[in-house]
Formats: sequence, C-alpha cells, structure tokens
Amino acid sequence: MSVASVPFSFGRLGLIAGNTFLEAVRQKLFLFLVLITLGLVLSVLFLLTFNFGSSELKFIADFGFGALTFFGSALTIATTAQLFFSEIENRTALTLLAKPIWRAEFVFGKFLGVFAVIGVFCALTIGTTIALLMVREGQILAAATDEFEARSLIAYGDLLVVGLLQWLKFGVLTAIVLLIASFSNTNLFTVVTGFFVLVICHLQYLARDQWSNVDNILLSGAVRALSFIFPNFQLFNLADEIGQGSGVSGEVALRVAGYGLVYIAVIGGLAVYSFRNREI
Amino acid sequence: MKFDAAALRPFRTGLVVVLGLFVAGLALRPIEGPAWEEVRAKQPALRLDSLKDALGQGVTVGLLGGFRAIVADFIWIRTNSVWETYDLPKTQTSIKLVTAIDPRPLYFWLNGSRMIAYDMPNWRIDKAGGYDAVPESVKRRFDEEQSSVAIEYLEGGLGFHPEHPLLVLEIGNVHLNRLKDVETASRYYLRASQHPDAPYYAARIYAELLRRQERHAEAYAFLKALYPTLPKDNVMAQAAVVLERIRELEEELSIPEAERFKE
Amino acid sequence: MTQAVSAISIKGLTKDFSVTLRGVKLRAVDSLNLEVAEGQVYGLLGPNGSGKSTTIKIILGLLDATVGDVRVFGVPANKVEARRNVGYLPEAPYFYRYLSGRELVRFYARVCGVPAATLKSRVDEVIAWVGLSGAADRRVGTYSKGMLQRIGLAQALVHDPKLIVLDEPTAGVDPVGSAEMCDLILKLKQQGKTVLITSHLLAQIEDVCDRVAILDRGKLIVEGSVQELVGQRDRQALIVDPLPPAEIEALKGWLAQRGHSLNSVEQPRARLDQLFLSKVSRPGRPGDKSAGVGSNEVPISDKPKA
Repeated sequence: MSVASVPFSFGRLGLIAGNTFLEAVRQKLFLFLVLITLGLVLSVLFLLTFNFGSSELKFIADFGFGALTFFGSALTIATTAQLFFSEIENRTALTLLAKPIWRAEFVFGKFLGVFAVIGVFCALTIGTTIALLMVREGQILAAATDEFEARSLIAYGDLLVVGLLQWLKFGVLTAIVLLIASFSNTNLFTVVTGFFVLVICHLQYLARDQWSNVDNILLSGAVRALSFIFPNFQLFNLADEIGQGSGVSGEVALRVAGYGLVYIAVIGGLAVYSFRNREI
Repeated sequence: MKFDAAALRPFRTGLVVVLGLFVAGLALRPIEGPAWEEVRAKQPALRLDSLKDALGQGVTVGLLGGFRAIVADFIWIRTNSVWETYDLPKTQTSIKLVTAIDPRPLYFWLNGSRMIAYDMPNWRIDKAGGYDAVPESVKRRFDEEQSSVAIEYLEGGLGFHPEHPLLVLEIGNVHLNRLKDVETASRYYLRASQHPDAPYYAARIYAELLRRQERHAEAYAFLKALYPTLPKDNVMAQAAVVLERIRELEEELSIPEAERFKE
Repeated sequence: MTQAVSAISIKGLTKDFSVTLRGVKLRAVDSLNLEVAEGQVYGLLGPNGSGKSTTIKIILGLLDATVGDVRVFGVPANKVEARRNVGYLPEAPYFYRYLSGRELVRFYARVCGVPAATLKSRVDEVIAWVGLSGAADRRVGTYSKGMLQRIGLAQALVHDPKLIVLDEPTAGVDPVGSAEMCDLILKLKQQGKTVLITSHLLAQIEDVCDRVAILDRGKLIVEGSVQELVGQRDRQALIVDPLPPAEIEALKGWLAQRGHSLNSVEQPRARLDQLFLSKVSRPGRPGDKSAGVGSNEVPISDKPKA
C-alpha cells in the first residue's frame, strides 16, 4: 500500500511553537521573573538619591542589561527544561509524537516557543530600560542647559541592537538546553548542566587567552578543543559599551548575529539528531 | 552483536554531537574572530588576585562572565554609602575596588579622585579636632597627602585612558585647587588642551594660569595662536571671550596698535 | 488481485533495553509475531511488564525495534507516514491543562492536517461523538478522569484514522465510564475502524474484542479469537430459566434416553479471566476504580459520518 509522504511542515512547527509559548506565559515562573526583572530595573530610581548626574544613565543601562542577562539566562534555562520535560513527564509528548509529525518539528517548535517567550521578556526589560533612560535623560538635559557637556547621552539604536543580540544569545542557550534535554532523563539534570554550560560558554574566552601559555601540548590541545566546542557567549557582551557611551560597530553586530544564528541552527540540528535517537 | 550496538548508541550520539559542535566552532572562527578581537579590545584585563580577596570567588566568576559593569555599579553605590559615614580607609579602598573591577567609565576615576582629594582632607581635619583646633601646617599636610593619593589614582586611570583630557585636567585641578600649585596645574592644562578631544575651556584656562604666573607674553602668544583655530559659531569655543583676553593682554603688554592681533 | 494489507503486521519483533553500559539488557518483547486485520477490535493482554506498552510504542514509532519488522498498513512503523492513519489514546492521558477541550482537539486536528475548511465542524462533531459538547469550553485541567479519557479519544479520532490504539482506556475510570468507553469502541468497530486495545479489565476486553493476544514477559503466550480461546467446541451450554431439582432430574432422564448426558448445572460466568490467570501464572491487577463524573455528562451522540 502506498502512503503519501509527510513533508516537514512549518505549519505544524508553528502550532507546536504557539502551544509552547502559551504554556510558558501561563507559568508562574515566567511572571515571577518578569516582575523581579522589572523591579530590579525600576529600582535604579533609588539612584536619584545619590545625584549622579548624567552618569545615572550609565547605571540605568547597566542595571537594565545586567537584569536582562542574569534573569534572562535563568528564565531561558528553566523555561526550556520545564517545557520540554512537562511534555515528557506528562506524556503529552507521547500523544503528540504519535501523530504524523517529525521530531524536528517538535524540537524546533519547542525552540521557537521558548525563543518567543524570551523575546517577550527581552522586549519588556529593554523597553522598560529605554523608557527610564528617556525620561531621566530628558530631566537631566533640562536641568543642565548651562552645562557645556549637555547633549544626547544614549544611543538608543545601539541599545536595541545590543538587546537583539542578547536575545540571540538566549536563543543559542535555548538550543543548548534542548540539546541537553534531548538525552537527559530529568529536568533537574538539564537545568544544572545548562547552568554549567552557560558558565563555560561565558568563560571559554579565558581558556583561549591561556592556550598559548600552556607548555603541555596535550593540555594546550584540550583547551583549544574546548574553546571550539563551546560557543563564546562573551562575544555577545556588548552592553557595557553602551553604558560607556561608545557605539557598537555595525560589522561587529552583524558578525555576532551571524555567529548566533548559525549556532542556533547547528545546535538545534544536533538536538533533533539526539532526540531522534531518544526512546520515549 | 546487535545488542552491543544498541548499548553503544548513546555514545555514538554523544560523539556526533561533540564532533558537530567542534566543527561548527572551527567553521565559525572566521566570522567570530574579527568581532571577538574588537569586543575583547574594549574589555580591559581584570587583576584577579586583588579582586578575589575583596569580592570572593562567586562574584569574581560573575565579573569574568560579563557582569563587571553592574558589579562595579553596585560597589560604586556602596562607596557612596560608605562615603556618607566619613570612613576614609573604607571609602578609599572601595573607590579603588570599583575601578579595579571596571576601569572603563571615566566617571568612576573623576568622582573617586574628587572624594579623595577634596572630601577626605576635611574628614581628617574633623577627626583631628576641627578647623579651629588643627594648625594650618597639619591642614596643609592633609591636603598634600590626599592630593598625592588622588593624583596617583588618576594617573592609574590614564593607564586605561591614555592622555584622556578629562583625566589630565582633573590632575591639573588637584594641583591648582588643593596644592595651589599654579605652575604645575598649567602644565597639565596645556597637556590636556593639546588632545584633539579636549574641551575648549582647557586652552582658555591654561592662558589664564599663565597670566596668574605673570607670564603674559606667553599667554598672549598662546591665545593669538589659539584664536584662529576656534569655530566662531560654537558657543562652547567662546571665541569672543578669547579675543577679549587677547585685547586685555595687548593692553597689559602695551602692544603697539600696528602690531596688535588682527582677526 | 492484491492481497489485503494487515492494519498491523509484527514479524519477529524483539526489543531490548540496555540497563547498564556493560551490555546488561532487559528484553521487553521477545520474538513477537502478530497480525491485526483491518476492521478488527484486537485486545493485547498481559500483566504489568509483559511488553504491551513497549509493543504499542514501537507500533507508534515512539521506540525503535531492536530486531524485527513492524508495519502499519504496510508502512514501516518508524516512518512518519505510518502515523497518518493512526489515532492514539495513551494510558491515563494528561493533556495541556490550560487549553479547553475544544482548543485541545482543535490543536491536535491542526497537527494532523485536518483541512481548515472542515476543521471546526470536524472538531465539534468528534467532541459531540464522545459526549463532551457540554464541557468543550471548560479547561482540560478541570476534567474528571472519565472526561479526560473521552477528550483523549476525541483527539485520537479527530483526523479520522483507520487504526485507533487505546492503551488502558478504562484504567482509573469508574464502571459507568468504562461501559461508555466500551460502547464507543463498539461504535468504532461498526464504522469499520481497526482498534488495538490493551486493558486489565478482561471482562470488557471479552465483550468488545474480536481477537486477543496474551503476552507474558515479552513473549506471546496465546493468540486467537475470543470464541476460539474461551469456547469449548465439544460442549454446549443451554441457558434456561432456573429449573427446580425435579425438572432437572427429568431433563437428565430425557437426555439419557437419547444417549446424551448432562455434565453440569451452573450459573453462566465470564471465563477469560480464568484463562488469563492460568496462562501467566500471576494475577493481573484490576484497574483502580475511582469515582468520576464523566458519566453524568452530555449523552453520547449518534454515530458520526464515516
């Protein structure tokens, strides 16, 4: 009997992504982290008591992006692991994967759902930061009309670019957590390993700095190999430059974006490969 | 044999994943490399040894992981709280810790040095019994000691921001305002004014400092050379004021009409 | 003339799970051969750990066979195409609690590619068919176990599959809910669907199944039609109204005159459970009975269109 083939469908992928997104935003964890993050960003208002002048804007930008980086990482790891394992543990994955869908649709659907949730989180955090910056910048400039240095202090376009790159970094992190979840048996293992990998990805540049100083060839080779295996998350760390008032080069931003997108595709593909070998 | 193959499947999968990541890392290096060099160049090295003792291992990892700006911010805020208690050693240590963590913001260098040079001598005088009780010589010694610390601190800042005019000016200000050393201050003002990003006032004040030293001819020559370089439509450049100073100096130096500066 | 393709064809299926890295394995299914013809209601029986669920997961492509060939309507079970004609209700299903029953069925309908033009009518139809029209807009998280089974059946049927796999469809459901589920299975049979069902409730299996297979420790112990397995061909049972002893004696005499004998006089009773227990040497635990409210919902509607 000939049965028509079932091609890969972006429609089904979108359905799974939409469902994942809906489930995520209804989780208390998401709401909790959003509130904490916005609270932290808004807490910079207490800096008014120190009267830092125009440098207060640096603090607002730093707080905004610090909160984004820290809580965004936590949210990415926890949400990805939770949404993946809720499907496995609650057996909804059984029902779904027993339908005519590809595992690639399932994995990338999960990815896109989480990525969209993180996107909402990033938009809220960066939006609040920008709103605060605009208000305070307006107040500071208005109060400093006599000052020689009175000028527009923050490059908002760069701020958005850096925010988008952070989102992309969380996309790479989502793909990494999905890769871990694809072979892991428990949510806890996935979360803990995800955090370890996050730290390694943030610190791998140190190993790269050091490998030329390592005399032992084997050790040097191992360090070098590790730096190739783990993505360099420090590359996405451009937010500090905004706080300093220096801009982000367009070429650097494009390269970082390309780097993130290729990693998402590669690690996502590896997660699909690993998940195809998983017995549910 | 089939069973062994099945048991080895997770290892095979793991190997493919690691190899895939390795190849991706290798292939992406040409995209990443140039961007990383630029990003890395903007991130000064951390002096980990001193920070580990002050902050502990956890925070140090946070610094390395990209949170140095916000950690520095927090410690700066803490510095301000300590500053309110007039605790000199704690404040001074905290100021230096902030710039050890993140030496990039000029704000930390400038304001830290002002706390050291301008506030701390007063704290020491208070502690020694107050303005009425402390002899002038001791007050002078406090000023000199604190100024010395502040200048050394600012010179440290110049290591991260070579020849930055605001830092050079700040050193000049300490010499001028705390040490009352007009001659040295003027040298720093001159040095700052020679930087392409120097504020216009650096050169004007340098000329004023020359006048204070009775070096009118030098001031006159300097301002005559300066004036043509000033944009006339920029309010910050204050070209009219510079011209006014030139005229004042011509009076003081009794420059003959025919030899006077022509716009 | 082409030979009819089995709905499910299992040949020489063995499934091992690696327990340790040194190669210690657990054999869940051992050299299993099964053919489920199209249109049959087929019962897969066995105690816990007998390999029923593993077999079902391999049929659904959720697990790979270690050895052997498993096909669904002629298509290898590990291909995505094989699941096009399969609906699956897992044991004790848990669905996305934040969706309403209607949203849930609609989600699975769209995943299965039900055309947009017929999506709404098909979703409404299948919800009505399982008797949940009155609760379709309630969140699934508020459903009782019986209702969960029925909404699970609705999602399994929404793309009109030819084969429906029901894993313990009455586990944890109250007797009324179980009976309703049996009614639904019989209706599916009337529509010509093939149904593969696993259950611990042997009386129900006996009522609805055409054929059964009993697995124990991964091996097939018995396979055949219910009639073949529990009927006794050299005996006949006459079910009559209760007779007083004198009339029984008279009947014995009447039979003796014709060379027959009356071997036993007893109450009719289910016999499949006896066979089951004797074959597997250990009792199957009946499903836990818990009170549910599913039976009080909207009555089951008429048969939907084929």
